[in-house]
Amino acid sequence: MIAEKLREEVYNCIRCGLCMNKCPVYNQLYFEGAAPRGKVQLIKKVLEGKLEPSENFCRMLSLCLLCETCTVNCPSGVALDRLMKAMRAEVSEKFGLPWQKRAMFHLLSSDRLLPFCLFWGRTVGNPLRSLLPADGKVGTIPYHRLPLLNRRPLLNQFPEVVPALGRRVGSVLYFTGCATNYLFENVGRSVIATLTRLGVEVIIPKAQMCCGLPIALSGARKMALKNIRRNLEIFSRDDVDAVIVDCASCGSALKKEYTHILEELGENAEAARTLGKRVLDVAEYLSRFELEKFLRPLPGRVTYHDPCHLVRSQGVREEPRSLLKRIPELEFVEMEGPDVCCGGGGTFQWEHPEVAAGITRNKIKAIADTGAQFVASGCPGCRLQIYGSLDTDAIQVLHPVELVAMALERRLS
Amino acid sequence: MLRQEVLEQFISVVGPDRCKTSPEDLLTYGYDACIYEYVPDAVLFPKSTQEAADIMRIASAEHVFVTPRGAGSGLVAEALAKHGGAVVCFTMMNRILEINTANRYAVVEPGVVISELQKAVDKVGLFYPPDPGSAAVATMGGAVAMNAGGMRGVKYGVTRDYLLGLEIVLPSGEVMVTGTVTAKDVTGYDLTRLICGSEGTLALVTRINVRLLPKPKTKRTLQAVYNSIDDAGTTVSRIVEAGIIPATLELMDKTVIKAVEEFSQLGLPLDAEAILLVDVDGGPESVETEAALIADFCRTQGAREVRVSLSEKENELLWSARRSAFGAVARLRPTCMIEDATVPVSYLTSAIKKVIEICGRNRVQVGVLAHAGDGNLHPLILCDQRDKAEMERVERAMDEIVDYALSVGGTLSGEHGIGIPKSKYLPKQLSETSLSMMRAIKRAFDPSGILNPGSFLEQRGS
Repeated sequence: MIAEKLREEVYNCIRCGLCMNKCPVYNQLYFEGAAPRGKVQLIKKVLEGKLEPSENFCRMLSLCLLCETCTVNCPSGVALDRLMKAMRAEVSEKFGLPWQKRAMFHLLSSDRLLPFCLFWGRTVGNPLRSLLPADGKVGTIPYHRLPLLNRRPLLNQFPEVVPALGRRVGSVLYFTGCATNYLFENVGRSVIATLTRLGVEVIIPKAQMCCGLPIALSGARKMALKNIRRNLEIFSRDDVDAVIVDCASCGSALKKEYTHILEELGENAEAARTLGKRVLDVAEYLSRFELEKFLRPLPGRVTYHDPCHLVRSQGVREEPRSLLKRIPELEFVEMEGPDVCCGGGGTFQWEHPEVAAGITRNKIKAIADTGAQFVASGCPGCRLQIYGSLDTDAIQVLHPVELVAMALERRLS
Repeated sequence: MLRQEVLEQFISVVGPDRCKTSPEDLLTYGYDACIYEYVPDAVLFPKSTQEAADIMRIASAEHVFVTPRGAGSGLVAEALAKHGGAVVCFTMMNRILEINTANRYAVVEPGVVISELQKAVDKVGLFYPPDPGSAAVATMGGAVAMNAGGMRGVKYGVTRDYLLGLEIVLPSGEVMVTGTVTAKDVTGYDLTRLICGSEGTLALVTRINVRLLPKPKTKRTLQAVYNSIDDAGTTVSRIVEAGIIPATLELMDKTVIKAVEEFSQLGLPLDAEAILLVDVDGGPESVETEAALIADFCRTQGAREVRVSLSEKENELLWSARRSAFGAVARLRPTCMIEDATVPVSYLTSAIKKVIEICGRNRVQVGVLAHAGDGNLHPLILCDQRDKAEMERVERAMDEIVDYALSVGGTLSGEHGIGIPKSKYLPKQLSETSLSMMRAIKRAFDPSGILNPGSFLEQRGS
């Protein structure tokens, strides 16, 4: 059952409705059940025993990106996203999850199965991708705009300890996350290249697992516990300066979701709280350094998309921008509504492709209006969604740290 | 419950997706922003006048109750299906049809959110002034039905003052146009203004023509900080007496300041007893002169500090903080009953004192917020709906506040409307003749009483 303290939250919703017009999903659908206020009121009825959770109720709960826009805009301070997540956990126990999700989460929570499947995915899947029907899609994303799997997982490309170049000024643990490990190796390579170039030793624990966030956010919290415990065990070390994350979602998991989940399941959350304080997004960590003396000009124009899990979950807004602004000759242009969700929302875009497509259309237009050739965003989910919805190759979607690494390498070459 | 064949008729008009009947959907249309709950039997979302007319024709033939609704941010249950039936919700009929810069008017569908219209006209150098606290959620249709007021009332008036014409659907399903798009129009009875503020009892509004103003060239926001709420009240009277008309003139007491600051983190003074937020707008020169004059007034009336905002962004932050006040007080207690009695502005100081005295005597927690410039009090009575004894004390306090407002020539409600919570007071303000005229008007529009039954007109006596 939902934790007592969280249950009281429903009574703090005064139903003013200020969450509605800011909700990306409501702005596509325009009915109350799609809006945060509607969901909180339904959760209240369920908690009061006046509404039996039904399939339809589950569907309404799933109609939420968990972008946290409502939470940060709620004048009454209702923790809407936490209520939503806790309720999803509640109903997923009763109704179960669709088989696709169950299969995926089973993979993500397993040490052996995931590398095994991804090996075959690489060997067979990558070459076969071109044989898939041209008009086929996963949710909103056409097959031909899905990323290929890394040749080898990033974790296998580097030793456990990558030494600093030159004088060592620091040491960090690097949580790579699944996306960097299996899909976007260049992000990981850029993180490692940049940090070591700045004199930071990078330790990449080999036994790390998926952060568990996708599993927990869909409601399968207990399934995610294995991942949480393992990662807590590995990353709870105080002989380093920080734990670095390049993925907004992993960052939000390590910084606060672990604590919330353990607390709400009535488990000891002390280790999670301690770890949470030591985790930094790579942009936050890099802002400590005087990058200017390392960076060479990178002519072009860049715009920045705020990942929900970075700007709202972690409150990181300025650091990634300032990284980009420090790159010489790279013009920074702000898009309209940079912190509006891209519409991806993890599995949201697969469950509600039409709603997601409407939200993403606005984002793509905002990006195109800037005339930038680079969109920077520190979230693989946003990257999948934005790249997958672009109909041009003239715009590249990159992690801010990839642009930093590009500017760094110019000097070395 | 609606009969299946009636539902099928509705579905034939709007399609299955825009006719919602699941228990979950119905529950989410059972509330607005106050404490009452009435669950409807169906929720229909028309997207055109034709659909709205067809819905009313079916409802009329089948004698189905219909309650119109916008975003559901109202405060008096006006948009709730008090006797069941169908809610007709206009949020999906939300296009801005025209912004005419040559003649300075706009034509909108009822589901357009007020702040979206404001943004759109701002882009072409125009200005739609009515600005209720809920502008970021409330719809234009709702604003017309409730004659929404807001913070700019003191200088610019309320929704009523910007309506040029409407297209409405009568309960019979007939479509009728009122007014025009011209600034002057004395052809026949002014039915536009009759519909405005009718709380959805006379007709569905399907198109709205509003007058626009040129955008003021500059704006300045002043924040005067007081150690005494009386001094803040007196300042307001003095500003009005002096013939200065600020664009907004808002008062917040320390309870409200605390809640708003907790949400907005703007650095509002938590040790102050009250602050006045004042906007002056217009040409650059007059704005400078008036801002200086008002700052002076505030100081001589005991303001310990007057801050002038330095940028448009800061103005924006301050006002969005003010707009959050209603929601923000929920941080203090779960329920907030927002009073709306309005007094002639010269009574403002004594009215504030009286409200505090009444609430103290009834052991009710209150935060004072006021559209001070037009005497529109908004005491926020903080309570917990689940506590019956407390709610009885709240009710008593509200009775007394109303009695006081009426005793000095004020009104029951400045802008929120009568709906359920104030209907019992109606006979205190309106004579039997006046009420029977209103009922006759209602009968003329809606002879079989299918539109918004249970509304303010069916008052239960005090």
